[in-house]
Amino acid sequence: MNGSNIRKLIMLLAFLVIAGFAAAEFLDLRHYKETVVVSEAFTEKRMLSEWLPNLKNTWGDTPVYFYDSGKPGATVLIYGGAHPYEPAGSLAVYVIMENLKLNNGRVILVPRADMSASTQGIVGHAYPQYLHIPTSWGQKVYRIGDRETAPLDQWPDPFTYVHYPSGQNLAYQDLRNFNRTFPGRPNGTLTERMSYAFMELIRNEKVDLTIDFHEASLMYPVVDTYVAHQRAEDLAFMAAMLCQAEMPMRSEVSPKNLRGLTHREVGDYSETLCVLVETAEPFIDRVVGRVTEQLMIDGKDEFLQRAAEKGLLYTDYDINNAQTIDTRVGRLLTSAIELINVFNMMYPDRAIDLWFPRYTDIITNGMGYYLHNPDEAVPSRVFLN
Amino acid sequence: MSMTLQTTYTLAAMVATFVISSWKSRSPEISMVITAVVGALVAGFGFPVRLLVEGTLTYIDLALQFITASLFMNFYAEIGATNALVRNLVARFYDNKWLMLFLLAFVMLIPGAITGAGSVSILVVGGLVATVLEFMGFPPARRAAFVFIMAILSAAAPPINLWAMLMAAGANMPYVGFNTILLLPVLAVAIFSVFYFGRGTKPKPKAEVLAGLPSAARGMTWWRLALPFALLLLLILLSQYAAHSIPVIGLPLTFLLCAVLVMLLDPERRGLKRWYDVTIQTMESVFPLVATLVSVGVLVSMMALTGVRGLIAINFVTLPIVWIYVTALLFCPIAQGSLSYGSAAILGVPIIFRFNSVGINVTVVTAALALMFPLGDCVPPSRIVARLSIEKVGFKGSYMEFIRAIAVPWCVLAIVALTMLIFPRVFVPLTM
Repeated sequence: MNGSNIRKLIMLLAFLVIAGFAAAEFLDLRHYKETVVVSEAFTEKRMLSEWLPNLKNTWGDTPVYFYDSGKPGATVLIYGGAHPYEPAGSLAVYVIMENLKLNNGRVILVPRADMSASTQGIVGHAYPQYLHIPTSWGQKVYRIGDRETAPLDQWPDPFTYVHYPSGQNLAYQDLRNFNRTFPGRPNGTLTERMSYAFMELIRNEKVDLTIDFHEASLMYPVVDTYVAHQRAEDLAFMAAMLCQAEMPMRSEVSPKNLRGLTHREVGDYSETLCVLVETAEPFIDRVVGRVTEQLMIDGKDEFLQRAAEKGLLYTDYDINNAQTIDTRVGRLLTSAIELINVFNMMYPDRAIDLWFPRYTDIITNGMGYYLHNPDEAVPSRVFLN
Repeated sequence: MSMTLQTTYTLAAMVATFVISSWKSRSPEISMVITAVVGALVAGFGFPVRLLVEGTLTYIDLALQFITASLFMNFYAEIGATNALVRNLVARFYDNKWLMLFLLAFVMLIPGAITGAGSVSILVVGGLVATVLEFMGFPPARRAAFVFIMAILSAAAPPINLWAMLMAAGANMPYVGFNTILLLPVLAVAIFSVFYFGRGTKPKPKAEVLAGLPSAARGMTWWRLALPFALLLLLILLSQYAAHSIPVIGLPLTFLLCAVLVMLLDPERRGLKRWYDVTIQTMESVFPLVATLVSVGVLVSMMALTGVRGLIAINFVTLPIVWIYVTALLFCPIAQGSLSYGSAAILGVPIIFRFNSVGINVTVVTAALALMFPLGDCVPPSRIVARLSIEKVGFKGSYMEFIRAIAVPWCVLAIVALTMLIFPRVFVPLTM
């Protein structure tokens, strides 16, 4: 063997060692399970594949948690994790799952809408893998994933994504974007099947109100905003007004020519009133500085402050009073509560009576206060997600 | 220490490392990886094993595209089809210089326009075009420049402009209204480029060219020549127009299927050993490009982690609008050179929001930027399309000579894009 080959062999071995350590971290995230202690209102856990069997045993299948009072009232679906790199959405749903009190009606909760996307990081963006939330009894750890379904589960991408059924061309990677593939196809790609299963869940369970939790960059015009299908326009507008008591909130109507999104397609292809909620996440703007878990938790970033001072942001930002993970989760919770309150006013015959923490509660007590210790909980109420 | 200061130190350390490493190692790829590691160390992140490996995967799809497209075309050449095709083109169209040149430009524009990647144009038809250009009296630098300019125009051309699509996705706006506003500037610059590159060239006599070309391989019929490209076109068109009736196979598998068809059409029925040898030769030739993609991915990942990416982006987008006009032709190509398609998301999306905040039509702004980013495909460290053009043409001169050759059409495209950015209202009717 000559010198060149020996050098190549050493380089290859060195890379394999490094890749081995990295693979261990990839595997760890892929199989890490989040723990949730469901509240006493919980009644049943089902899987998304019940509404589309070909999802069974795929990473597109995800737990769907039912909280059924057994008394008449509306059915509300709240889900987070359509884009796992916007973690406040999933955390807000977990907070609801752990604290929901329900007097009538039914609530369906999905913390990880795109399970696959939560099991892999975004290549090239250097995101942390986990979010550690402090509680009085220790830390609770959550996954931070990708924006799109993992390529491990859906690959290759086309050179362009043709949305079904509109035929609109979208960026190629959006075929793995859960919030661009609605209303989905029963025999389409994994992500299209996931969207279709959600549509089936909404149609078969006769969901009255669908709330989709997201986070947005601060340079994105649709931030701290409800985006509502036109049938839910009044609902979102009035809810935004009610939100002002605790926090600024806007509302806008889903554009009709932007296809594949929940607030457009779910509204068009089912009877439900569909509203997407965006809260400001000082992390996903491409102008932020060091990409660390600390930034995702405390939201403090000098570059965003500069952008704010130049008037480039679409929401208020102050580095000394930045949007922490608590703030963002709290915003999503109040956004959902006010939507439900307005729904109750508009449809009193289907009113739903429930309680879960809201913005002020989270700001006062911290999110960790509402996350329970699985070691002290009744085992039947502890789920791994 | 403030984050701005720390990030600035990190950027300075990375630049210094890249310069010294490039000088010492003479390998931009190794230098980029060393720069990434030094950046992480200086920024206090230690040796982030997972992120370094994750970075290597950033452009894996693009790398597979390069490998498989090269395989397809090298298989095609191996059976003598490329020679036969060139022979046929010369026999039919060579008598009319300008018709021939426009035909070559058209042939270059199509693959990139329908796949969004100029590199595909080069890999699929670049070699063939370069051969004919040589007969037409184009000096080597001009051949490489012709291939490069047509490749970047093909990437910018509708229906698939990846930069515009990525910016539209990042800004949550539909990818509609881009066809005319992208097509007209691309066509205008392509026509100008054909006349510019074709000026003063003296084609060799047709008889001499035909005499010098290898005779067509035995059994090389027109359908053997056409079928692989017909399959390629069919698969690409099906992906676009029958997307919901066929599975997603992606471009790499598309090229592989075409390569397999070439093997089946081989009139001489070469053995597997021969195909294996061609595959190894292809991998050897594509390897430097793949290495570039891998190392750029690592560098991009570390730039994000350390905040260097944000530092560059915030400094650009917080400039007054007038200064954005002045510096766009500097920042956009540099971003493309270092971030490849990532430039659209990292610089493009904030710029769109910046212009949107002052009420400027974002479709025109997006189109203008989508014409500017391809200009960076000749800018280090990656300069992927430029390298492909140079390698495919076999140009042996200096990189500066190549830059001089592309300068005028490059500037014309730059001026067109900048005009669209500065005077968007004039171009709004083209978005209807």
